[in-house]
Amino acid sequence: MANTVIGSSIVIDGEISGDEDLVIQGTVKGKISLKESLFVEGSGVVEADIETQNVEIAGRVTGNIVASDKVELKTDCRVVGDIKAPRILIADGASFKGNVDMDIKER
Amino acid sequence: MATPAKEFAGGAGNTVIGPSILISGKLTGDEDLTVRGRVEGELTLTNTLIVEPSGVVKANVAVKNAIVSGVVVGNINATESVELTKEGRMVGDIHSPRVIIVDGASFRGRVDMGEVEPGRVPSERPARPLLRPAVRAVAPPKPAAPRPAEEKAKPAIKPVPPPPPPAARAEGKAPPAGAKPPVPPAPPLLAEAGKKKVVVKKKAK
Repeated sequence: MANTVIGSSIVIDGEISGDEDLVIQGTVKGKISLKESLFVEGSGVVEADIETQNVEIAGRVTGNIVASDKVELKTDCRVVGDIKAPRILIADGASFKGNVDMDIKER
Repeated sequence: MATPAKEFAGGAGNTVIGPSILISGKLTGDEDLTVRGRVEGELTLTNTLIVEPSGVVKANVAVKNAIVSGVVVGNINATESVELTKEGRMVGDIHSPRVIIVDGASFRGRVDMGEVEPGRVPSERPARPLLRPAVRAVAPPKPAAPRPAEEKAKPAIKPVPPPPPPAARAEGKAPPAGAKPPVPPAPPLLAEAGKKKVVVKKKAK
């Protein structure tokens, strides 16, 4: 259960950090670092570097994403930036421009 | 949509900053904001800011309403009201037409309610009686301060009604007709009794 929600009319210019889930319906510019999941909803606009465990994006993200677990690009999202995570899911209909790094070393 | 469940879970247009979240920078918006975590920098809303007991705001705040139950360090500029609840702690200046400081709140700073006209005091009775004792309770901690602000306000009002009856009785001695209008049914009897006594004394003399 996400207990932090950035509502649709909210604009944050700066840095967000924390240990809990974050839902973004508004606009965030700067930097986001979380130890849990980030949800960028359809109305959400993120112009920031993101560092989290999980990211689910249905809105617009511009910036580099580093996730320790998973990045999920949902239908209708627009993402520009590099993604680095062991698991990356890109759904049909998602638009994405950038590099993908699943950090494959050996195996 | 792909995430209908989450949109509902998030609540429509209500922003919450959770207890472990730190936001540093500039935050602006047109909706209510509930802070359970930390916000540092600048905070501008066209609606209500609620700082919950776990919330810490170190920022210059410009809002319509602010309800502070947590900690605020910085100036608050509100177009409508600022309320410090009993758990609220604040250091900074408040600029707002209505400022409510409840008993138990701690506050250090300046309060500016704008133009405080003497004529405006009676028109704003609902806010004023609460406000005045509360402000005093914070500045000089009197022993009587723990009492709820409302209790203080009531005694202040009570002394006003008692004066009329003595005045009415005094009038009753000379012109009984003058005593009747201001006093309800029962007092006129007293006034008449007083008149009779006076008459008896005169006869005795």
